[in-house]
Amino acid sequence: MKDDKTLSFMKSLFMGEIQQEILFPYPQQDEDEKENLKMILQAWNEFAENSVDPVEIDKIAQIPDEVMDGMKEIGMFGLPISDEYEGAGVSKTSYCRVFEEICRYDTGIAVMFGAHASIGTNGIVLFGTEKQKAKYLPKLASGEYVAAFALTEPGAGSDAAGIKTKAVLNKNKTAFILNGEKIWITNGGVAQIATVFAKTTVQQNGEEKEKITAFIVELDSEGVSRGKKEHKLGIRGSNTASLNFDNVVVPVENMLGPIGKGFLVAMETLNTGRLGLAAGCIGGMKELLRQAMDHAKSREQFQKTLDRFQLIKQKIAKIASETYALESIVYLTTGLHDKGGIDVSLESAICKIYGSEVVWDASDEVVQIAGGLGYSADYPYERYLRDARIHRIFEGTNEILRMFVALSGIQGPGEYLKNVGKALRNPIKGFGLLTGFAAGKVKDTIARDELKNVCEELKEEAEQFNALVARLAAITESVLRKYGKKIIVEQYTLNRIANIAIELLGMAAVISRVDTRLKEGKSIEKDLPLAKLFCNEAASRARREARYVDRNHDKERSEIAEFLSETGKYPMDMLMEK
Amino acid sequence: MKIAILLKQVPVKDATLELNGDGTWIDEDDVQFEINDSDHYGLAEALNIAKDNDGEVTVVTMGPDRVKESIKQALAKGAHQAIHINDEDVKSSDPLTRAKIIAEAVKGENFDLILSGLQSDDYGYGQTGVLVAEMLGMPHATLVVETEINGDKIKVKRELEGGWFQNIELPLPAVLSIQSGLTDIPYATIKGIMMAKKKPVADVEADDLGVELEGGAFKLEKIYTPVKSKETAVLKGDADSVVPQIIDKLKNAAKVL
Repeated sequence: MKDDKTLSFMKSLFMGEIQQEILFPYPQQDEDEKENLKMILQAWNEFAENSVDPVEIDKIAQIPDEVMDGMKEIGMFGLPISDEYEGAGVSKTSYCRVFEEICRYDTGIAVMFGAHASIGTNGIVLFGTEKQKAKYLPKLASGEYVAAFALTEPGAGSDAAGIKTKAVLNKNKTAFILNGEKIWITNGGVAQIATVFAKTTVQQNGEEKEKITAFIVELDSEGVSRGKKEHKLGIRGSNTASLNFDNVVVPVENMLGPIGKGFLVAMETLNTGRLGLAAGCIGGMKELLRQAMDHAKSREQFQKTLDRFQLIKQKIAKIASETYALESIVYLTTGLHDKGGIDVSLESAICKIYGSEVVWDASDEVVQIAGGLGYSADYPYERYLRDARIHRIFEGTNEILRMFVALSGIQGPGEYLKNVGKALRNPIKGFGLLTGFAAGKVKDTIARDELKNVCEELKEEAEQFNALVARLAAITESVLRKYGKKIIVEQYTLNRIANIAIELLGMAAVISRVDTRLKEGKSIEKDLPLAKLFCNEAASRARREARYVDRNHDKERSEIAEFLSETGKYPMDMLMEK
Repeated sequence: MKIAILLKQVPVKDATLELNGDGTWIDEDDVQFEINDSDHYGLAEALNIAKDNDGEVTVVTMGPDRVKESIKQALAKGAHQAIHINDEDVKSSDPLTRAKIIAEAVKGENFDLILSGLQSDDYGYGQTGVLVAEMLGMPHATLVVETEINGDKIKVKRELEGGWFQNIELPLPAVLSIQSGLTDIPYATIKGIMMAKKKPVADVEADDLGVELEGGAFKLEKIYTPVKSKETAVLKGDADSVVPQIIDKLKNAAKVL
């Protein structure tokens, strides 16, 4: 279990094992990096304070050229690209902290920036050849090129493996001819290059197979056309457009990663992108809290300001404790990512799920706190609500990611990418690929593990965590015994398993953060109420999910849904029926 | 061309300020510091002149260890090197003593130009640049809004009162204090930030410069937060009773009659 290849905190939890050496101490940045980060944030804040007007950006549905140019001038576009290729080469942790701050000013800018610096660039960083890196990364770092990531198609959203875009090798094998359509592409209308995924014919065991391959496509190539800019609910500053490829010649040297390995390129690229997105949600939460407090401290009703009422306190405390938990899981995950050698794919997915949901809840609650003003377009509250909604949809819907978390978790460490990808595509056949999963093996490893040496202040929370880890492992085992191969279609159950895992990561990260602070002699006075509120709420949510695994109304759920599938509408009309 | 910019670190604009124990200055313990706002314009001008004249910009900052952060920031914004005059124990606040220290620290550097901002956001004396010029025997100009290097001279445009400007020419080396608000202040670039720690910072101890640090030209006795002194009184009654009251107030309280 503990060889480096499979080191993963979350995956081990499904086996009932708590890898404390990963969890403690909570990762820290070194002083040098901290100082640089502080200055980068200062540079961005100085710029954004003077130049970014989110109201105007939302209104004109465009990021003004001055903002784009200013960001390029500061060097933001090259933030995660290594200095070898003229970027700044900051760590994932620093990148995410800056991303948080961008999102605090404008989510549309953050989305544009994430599509460029994260998913637009990461493919080349992770899978590019030396030549590809040298050719493209410096231009991406300076912002001369803006990047996009083109996977989704009209017929392939969550089912990413079902893409129809084709790349066919020409006769003299110098180039691929690309045909197809990509939709909902962030930066689609403004990017100079895109990582494009297409089906290619691959020889495998003497047979011809259709497999996905990734390509770097220069968007000024002949045959590339861009659709009109989409009118969106939120993140209106970011440019979203379709890309159409009509016999586009893509030189073979622009193939990204090995032929037929495009799905891996896509998943790995998205894996690392999710952390940025989740960090953006932290920025959103902090800004929402600031806005909420501005209002709650000044608005008076019944001769009291709103912040004096318990029902407002309840909302504020909930948002603050969830912000604390989100911060804790995101920077635990980025810290582990920066340390290297640890698989954080599950953690990253959880950060995205959790961040996108708490920022949505928070923006909804802040609209509520603002009352009538919350519903007015003359105030910022409704914009936060609109901007926050997308996070649950893009870069993997939360539904798909929950299946990913549960399936990867129960699959046990190792080869998750290839197998879960296949498994999701082809459930029955796919399960055979969930290697080494013998229920007996699981049973052998289930021993009740415990968090050790956790500070006295969080003893109760640690005990709840321990109990829930044992519960998760037991549920994992029992549902596998019950469903066997068919577990893959048991989405109600997988969803519950994922929900337990999500709460457990939150609790673990929060406990580690507080415990580490205390052991470093720092004050935990402000941390404790946030940590305790979150941990206890999380534990009770997780226990409820665990209870529902066996005792639920899934049968009724399916019946209702199937009834509606048949009729296509609500099946009754109470007052009009005979 | 060697250009110096005298740059000060001051408390951030929105800092909550508390007085220190003996009421002679603020309590600096929980205060964050930043580059003095006016000095950004001096730095901007220094960088512009350096760019057009193949120059090198040296940041000169006096203060305790915390000023290193502002120095690094100025280096990240494009300055080439820095001199940190450490006055950890001195806490000299009068501009004459400060100017003497700075003049001693920079005189061996043979700068062609020494720039400063308009004034500092903390004490706000607005004298340091001019005093340094006098001590080094260099010509100086204040409220400078435009500069143009012309061989061994510099043409400057000064802002006078009432919308008037003055154009003058000074021989180099010279000292200029730059008017605020006329150029864009430079942003630190991320590359600049990464490179900043590789740029040289010379450390000079204020104690070692042979300047008499005790006493100074004047001493700050006491600072205090403004005391609320205005009062509103509502006089009640009919005209006959109110008028004598008003006259009494104007004579004895406001003392205007």
